[in-house]
Amino acid sequence: MSILATKETHVVIQGGVAGVNAARRMGEFRHMIQQPFNVSAFVYPPDAGKTNEIVCGNRLLTIPVYKTIAEATANHPEINTSLVYVGADRAYAGTKEALDNSGIQVVSMITEGLPEKDSKLLGAHARKLGKVFNGPSSIGVLSAGECRLGVIGGAFDNLVACKLYRPGSFGVITKSGGLSNEIIWICSQFADGVTTAIGIGGDAYPGTDYVTYLEMFENDPQTKAVVIVGEMGGDLEERAAEWYGVKKRRVRLLAVVSGFCQESLPKGMKFGHAGAKEGLQGEGSARAKSEALKKAGALVPDTFGALGPAIKQTYEELVKSGEVTPIPELTEAEKPKLPRTVEQGMKDGDILVAPLIKSTISDDRGDEPLYEGYPASELINKGYDIPHIIGLLWDKRLVSKQEAEIIRRIIILSADHGPCVSGALTTIIGACAGIGLSQAVAAGLIMIGPRFGGAVTDAGRYFSYAVDNNLSVEEFLTYMKKNVGPVPGIGHRVKSLRNPDKRVKELVGYVKSLDLATPHLDFALEVEKITAAKKDNLILNVDGTMAAVLVDLGFPVDSLNGFFVLARTIGLIGHWADQKRQGSRLIRLFNYLVNYASPARREVPPLK
Amino acid sequence: MAKVLEGPGMGLLKKWGLQTPNFAVVGSSEELEQLAQANDWLNTSSLVVKAHEALGSRFKLGLVKVGLDLKGAAAAAKEMLGRTIGTLTIREVIVSEAVEHSEEYYVAVKSTRDGADVMVANCGGVEVESNWDRVKRCSVVVGDSPSDAALEALAKEAGFSGELIPQVADFARKLFLCFDNEDAQYLEINPVVRNAAGELVALDAVTLLDGDAKFRHPDWTFPFAAEFGRAYTQNEEEVMAVDSKVKGSVKLIEIPGGDTAMLPAGGGASVYYSDAVVARGGKLANYAEYSGDPPDWAVEVLTDKVCSLPGIKNIIVGGAIANFTDVKKTFGGIINAFRKAKAEGKLDGVRIWVRRGGPNEKEGLAAMKALKDEGFDIEVFDRRTPLTDIVDMALTKK
Repeated sequence: MSILATKETHVVIQGGVAGVNAARRMGEFRHMIQQPFNVSAFVYPPDAGKTNEIVCGNRLLTIPVYKTIAEATANHPEINTSLVYVGADRAYAGTKEALDNSGIQVVSMITEGLPEKDSKLLGAHARKLGKVFNGPSSIGVLSAGECRLGVIGGAFDNLVACKLYRPGSFGVITKSGGLSNEIIWICSQFADGVTTAIGIGGDAYPGTDYVTYLEMFENDPQTKAVVIVGEMGGDLEERAAEWYGVKKRRVRLLAVVSGFCQESLPKGMKFGHAGAKEGLQGEGSARAKSEALKKAGALVPDTFGALGPAIKQTYEELVKSGEVTPIPELTEAEKPKLPRTVEQGMKDGDILVAPLIKSTISDDRGDEPLYEGYPASELINKGYDIPHIIGLLWDKRLVSKQEAEIIRRIIILSADHGPCVSGALTTIIGACAGIGLSQAVAAGLIMIGPRFGGAVTDAGRYFSYAVDNNLSVEEFLTYMKKNVGPVPGIGHRVKSLRNPDKRVKELVGYVKSLDLATPHLDFALEVEKITAAKKDNLILNVDGTMAAVLVDLGFPVDSLNGFFVLARTIGLIGHWADQKRQGSRLIRLFNYLVNYASPARREVPPLK
Repeated sequence: MAKVLEGPGMGLLKKWGLQTPNFAVVGSSEELEQLAQANDWLNTSSLVVKAHEALGSRFKLGLVKVGLDLKGAAAAAKEMLGRTIGTLTIREVIVSEAVEHSEEYYVAVKSTRDGADVMVANCGGVEVESNWDRVKRCSVVVGDSPSDAALEALAKEAGFSGELIPQVADFARKLFLCFDNEDAQYLEINPVVRNAAGELVALDAVTLLDGDAKFRHPDWTFPFAAEFGRAYTQNEEEVMAVDSKVKGSVKLIEIPGGDTAMLPAGGGASVYYSDAVVARGGKLANYAEYSGDPPDWAVEVLTDKVCSLPGIKNIIVGGAIANFTDVKKTFGGIINAFRKAKAEGKLDGVRIWVRRGGPNEKEGLAAMKALKDEGFDIEVFDRRTPLTDIVDMALTKK
């Protein structure tokens, strides 16, 4: 048995992220006691219609989110308890909504900073309806072996350490959330543990008081003693003392009260929870409370540290009188455990997972990326540059200074080629249509193919074939004519022998000026001599030049198009940003630029 | 509770139809002279000048001057402004008009568990404090308003007669309206006086509002004053500034002259730790708490302030077994600040005592323990050591 939160408790959580976190904690508790999850629904208007994922044991549950309490209870009529996590400015309305729902009997508010007036109104409203409004600022309610409302009890290991998988004999009521866990732990170490632990919140006027719960504990046969962890301020402890002293009670009462330090503080200085602020006429001092509780017959140790021994003494008396039978301890093996995650299992070394993908170039698991094993910051600090990173990630090697300079020049020369070419034009049309940078640039990149910028890889492939097989230019051209078609990397739409491509001249000039073996470039230039002699515009184009040079540098053939893609991305981003900056408007082709060659207007035949 | 200074407090009373003397809050004597060109009462009335700051015993400090003309008021303002009392500099004075009167009364509304008490006495000023049995009260349940009949009965019970009964009842009704609508926790008008025209005037007010309700009062543009009769110190203000920015909370109150510095977690446990220090004959150097899983940097700022307290011998890094505050993460912030403080020599001769439990307690406590190897004088205990035992050890160790 227990009070307030029981085996029959079914919960709706009002709130967003904090509520979801609490539900996850509650899921851990349900796994510990081997019971199905007891949060039926969330109410959080911004997420209405969605679901929240909660782990309960080794299952991932999806719990629906509703806009209103009424919707939640209509769909989940078992709901009888609400946990309120919404912000202080909306908590009053949310709590009222829950209290006014006929199915809901208990509302516990975790929200802090609720205006005092709202708290009083909600408390009065709940009492009028014969319901319980617990909080505000409540850490939650936990009944060992039965139900957890909120995060009270902390992490899973702590739940187990405090033996919360089965009921003990001590009820706990505390204002302080942080101390709830401490007192649960003490009860489990000095006695047989708790039945129900309740955080009533540290506000000045909580919705319920100690007496509300003392009455409930008095009627719960499992609870043999109740521990109150009190604070100065207000009169809740005095009222508890009055309740305890007025007649013989079944439960034993233990209590501690904080705030004795106030007596030796400079006048007027107060601290602790809002409820701990002393009343204006000096009522509610720690000493007055402590005395009242002692007088009523409660066991009141002088310090918090002495509470453990006091609980132990009470427990031993209960055992001696036969009211409590000691519960055998579980062995380590019997204690509940959380299912391990795959990550944990791998870390512990007893699970082997077949990887889905393999990566051999970079590793993101540390505090910074490693490129081919080299930390990015170290590469920067030692003077490495973008071409070196390309070398590492595309060809798994650190390129030389000379190679880096060639790559740098290739990128500069291919970065852009004006607005009219296929890629840039497409990006510009996209920008004018209002689409975003990545989409517009990607549209431009899609144009890169056999006829625009995408011949680098193929040119490299065939020049390599020729050089590797010691083909003469004649043999090569014959082979190409027979098996492939036009030679990739040869030919230009507008450039010709008489109107040479300055980029090609520049690149060839630079590479030839170096002390570098360039068999592919040399072969390509020989090919050009023959083809250009046949037709003026069959010159070695920029794709072919890049291909030959990069193959000479040893880059894998399959990576070659990447140099153009990378370089031209710079230009495409520029074109998108340029249109954006100008505020360009939607464009469309003029009719007169289209040859409308479709059939003239005619009658549609009847459908057969 | 949030204390409000006299100026904005009087403003709220006026908003709810209560008569107050004319007043002006000024930051310079020139401002007062400018105001006098537009407000006749400053030239014709007998004036009172008071320091407009959160200070107790203003009278004793010479920060209240009465019976002045405008020239005298300007001189008094000039004299008070810029004066420093402890850590506080007087930046504003309130100048109000003296109200001729013979009788003084008392009307207040106070928050109670079930609602509010309206309190009335037919004496006021210091007289009511020594005759508290003359204060009569009428309880109002939350959500209700007191009826005119109930308030008139209260006035009668307090000893008012004749036309004063409806006048006092009306005054109390308006004060209750102000209390209820402004989310007040305590409103005390002492004294209420009767002016020459026979009207009731609120001469001096104590105004405590519910700071948590600020979100629904866009006209609360005034700052709240420190609650304990002194201004906040710079360190306290810096911690408050951090507190207002983060999830969870960090709090600091400095207590001059103490030698035991407190750095405990949780609003409940921190007071038990303070109690233990006092019970063992220690002298608190501060109150502090961090709770609700605040970010590590916020705890670092708090720790930095705690380490900077002068003359400390022990630092108590206590805490209960946390529900969800991450021990490893929050201790990370504390450790960073400890290292900095040690490098600056602030921890010379200071012993550190740690006791804590909660999420990631093993890692957090191990990191604290490792500080020993860096030369810190630190003792670290886990959940198996009762909460406040570290205070016993700290204060009995020679």
